[in-house]
Amino acid sequence: MTGTTLPAPRAPFRPQTLIPYAVLVLATLPILVLYVWLTYSSFFPRIEGFRPVGPFTLENWRFLWDPGSVDQLRNKPAIIPLTINTFLFAISTSVVVVLISSMAGYALSRLPFPGRRMFLGGVLLLHSFPSVTLLIATFIVLRQLGLYDRLLGVILVKAAFELPFGVWIMKGFFDTVPWELEMAALVDGASRLRTWWRIVMPLVKPGLLALGILTFVQGWNEFILPFVFMPSGSQQTLSTFVRAILGEGRFVDYGLLTAVGLYYVAPVLVLFVVAQDQLMRVYAGGVKG
Amino acid sequence: MRVVLQQLTKRFGAVTAVDALDLEIKSGEFVGLLGPSGCGKTTTLLMIAGIYRPTGGAIVFGDHRVEHLMPKDRGIGMVFQSYALYPHMTVAQNIGFPLAMRRGVAGDEITRRVREAAALVHVDGLLARKPAQLSGGQQQRVALARALVKRPDILLLDEPLSNLDARLRHEMRGEIKRLQKEVGITAIFVTHDQLEALTMADRVALMSDARLQAYATPKELYERPVNQFVAEFIGSPPMNFFAAELGRRNGSVLATAQGIEIELPPARAPRGDGQRQATVGIRPEHLAIVAPGAGHANGEIYVIEPMGREQIVDVQIGERRLRAIAPPGFSAPLGASVGLRAAVDQLHLFDPAGGERLA
Ligand SMILES: Nc1ncnc2c1ncn2[C@@H]1O[C@H](COP(=O)(O)OP(=O)(O)OP(=O)(O)O)[C@@H](O)[C@H]1O
Ligand SMILES: [Mg+2]
Repeated sequence: MTGTTLPAPRAPFRPQTLIPYAVLVLATLPILVLYVWLTYSSFFPRIEGFRPVGPFTLENWRFLWDPGSVDQLRNKPAIIPLTINTFLFAISTSVVVVLISSMAGYALSRLPFPGRRMFLGGVLLLHSFPSVTLLIATFIVLRQLGLYDRLLGVILVKAAFELPFGVWIMKGFFDTVPWELEMAALVDGASRLRTWWRIVMPLVKPGLLALGILTFVQGWNEFILPFVFMPSGSQQTLSTFVRAILGEGRFVDYGLLTAVGLYYVAPVLVLFVVAQDQLMRVYAGGVKG
Repeated sequence: MRVVLQQLTKRFGAVTAVDALDLEIKSGEFVGLLGPSGCGKTTTLLMIAGIYRPTGGAIVFGDHRVEHLMPKDRGIGMVFQSYALYPHMTVAQNIGFPLAMRRGVAGDEITRRVREAAALVHVDGLLARKPAQLSGGQQQRVALARALVKRPDILLLDEPLSNLDARLRHEMRGEIKRLQKEVGITAIFVTHDQLEALTMADRVALMSDARLQAYATPKELYERPVNQFVAEFIGSPPMNFFAAELGRRNGSVLATAQGIEIELPPARAPRGDGQRQATVGIRPEHLAIVAPGAGHANGEIYVIEPMGREQIVDVQIGERRLRAIAPPGFSAPLGASVGLRAAVDQLHLFDPAGGERLA
C-alpha cells in the first residue's frame, strides 16, 4: 500500500464525444436566446430587432407597484391577488391530483379487483384524449353543480383532467415497491393503512414530489379552463390576465407584455431549476433506496 | 408454541399451490420445509404468517385456530427471502419497527430491546446505517433481529441463506441453528437445498408438487426414505437406482439385473412372494470398489472426480452407470475393469409402479 492515491487514468479525448453536446446546444440555443432577449427587452422602452433603443428603465415593470398608472390595467384585477389566485389554483389542483393518484395508483398496482385492466386502459385513453372536446359537457356539469364561475369548480375540472396522467405515473411508482416489504410490515404488526402510510408512501416520495411539481406547473400554465369557466374578472388567473393585455384592442404595449410575461413564467423556471432531479425520475421511472 | 396444519390447501385459480398438507410441529422444534422450486413452500409459510388466506384446512397455534387472525395478531416473526428491510429506515428503525407498531412500548424500552436484539446477531455496530449500506450477510442478520425483537412465539424463515455466498452460508447455517436453540423458539424454515435442511432442522418436511412427501428426522430421511422421490431428493451425490428382477435361491431373495446380482438380507427383502420386480436404490457411499469378480457387479471405470476428502467414481455396467465413492488414495486408469460391492443392509427397494418403499 502506498500512502498516495494515483490519479485515475484519464480517458483519451475523442472528438466524437462532443457531438451530443453540440446537438443539444444547437437545439436549446434558440430558446435560450429568446428568453435572454425577453428579459433585457423588458428593461428598455423599445426594441429594434435585437437592439434596445433608449435608456435603461423600469417603466415596463410599473404594474407591480403602481398598477393604477398603467392604462391597460385600469379596469383589471390587481396583480397581487391575481398571483395569489393562480398559486391557489395550481397548488390545490396539485394537492388533489397527488392525493387521489396516490390512492388510485396504489389500488391499481396491488389489488386484483374486477375491471382492473379495463380501468387501466380507460385511464390511458383518457390521458391521450384532448380535454378541449369536453368543454361543453363540463360546462353543463359545472352549471348543474353550482360551481360555474368559481375557483373550486375550475380546480376540480383541472384536477380531473390531470388525474389520468397522475394515476398512471403513481401506479408505475407503486409497482416498483416489492410486495415483500408490505408483507414484512404486516407481519411486524402494522395495519394495512399504516403499512401504506409508513412503508409504501415514503418509498414513492420521489414520485409524489415529481407529480406534485408537474401538476403545479400544468395548473400554473392552464389557460382554457379558467378562461372559459371563470369569466367574471375577480377570480382570474395570470394566464387569462396576460391574454387580456394582448387582446385589449387598439394597440399592444409590448414592453408591458414582456414584463408581465416574464413575471408569469418566473416561478415555473425557478421550480424547474430547483426540482429538475425529481422531475427526471418521472421519466426515468424508478425509485432508488 | 405448537403449530399444527390440517389439510391445509391453497389454490390460485386453477393452480393448486399447496394440497391438503398435514404437519405437526412441536413447541421449540426447528422444522425445515424442503422441496424443489415451485412446490409450494413459500405459499405454506405465507399462510402460516397470515398473508395468504387458505382455500381450505386449518392452522392451529397452541390450541387455537388462527386462520381468521390478521398477521399482526399471530405472534410471529418472519425473515423474507429478500430480507425485505425497509430501505428508508436505519438499521435501528428497522429492528425497532415491530415494537413501534405496538401500543404501550416506551421509547427507551424500544431502544434497549433494539440494542439487545442487534447484539444477539452481532449487528450492534451498524445501527445508524441504512440497509443499502450493508452487505448481504449483515442485511440477513438485521432481518433476523427484526423478526426476533418482539419475542414472537413462532419464527418463519423463507430461504434465509439463499442470497449468501458459500462461505457465509455455512457460517450462518450454524449461527441460525444455535440462535434457534438459544432462544428456544418454534421455527420453520424454507429451503430448496437438502444440505441446509439436513444440517439445520430437527425434522424435515419434504414437499413436491404441492404435496407432502415425507416428514421425518434427517436421519430417518437418509436411512429409510419412504418412497423413491424422497430417496432421490435426499443425499449428495444422489442415490443410484436400477430396475431388478426378484427371485429366490436357497430361501433368500435375489435381486438381479444385467451384470448385477445381489442377495438381499432378510431385513431388506420384501415380505411375501408376490413381488417380481423392484427398483433397487443404493447410495454411492454404500458402494465400494473391489477387484473384478469380488463384488456384486462388474464393470469399467467411466470417470473419476476427486473431491478432496473422497473421490466420486462412475462405473459403467452394461448399459447403466453406477456411482461409487472411493477413498482419496484410489487410482485407476479409465476403462479399467473393477468390481462393485454393495453394503447389502443399506439397500432400498421401491415399487416400480408407485415408488413406495418395499423394504
Ligand atoms: N400469488 C400467486 N398467484 C398465482 N400463483 C401463485 C402465487 N404464488 C404462488 N403461486 C404458484 O404456486 C406454486 C407454489 O409457489 P411457491 O411460491 O409456494 O413455491 P416455492 O416452493 O416457494 O418455490 P421457490 O423455491 O421457487 O420459492 C407455484 O406454481 C406458483 O406459480
Ligand atoms: Mg419460495
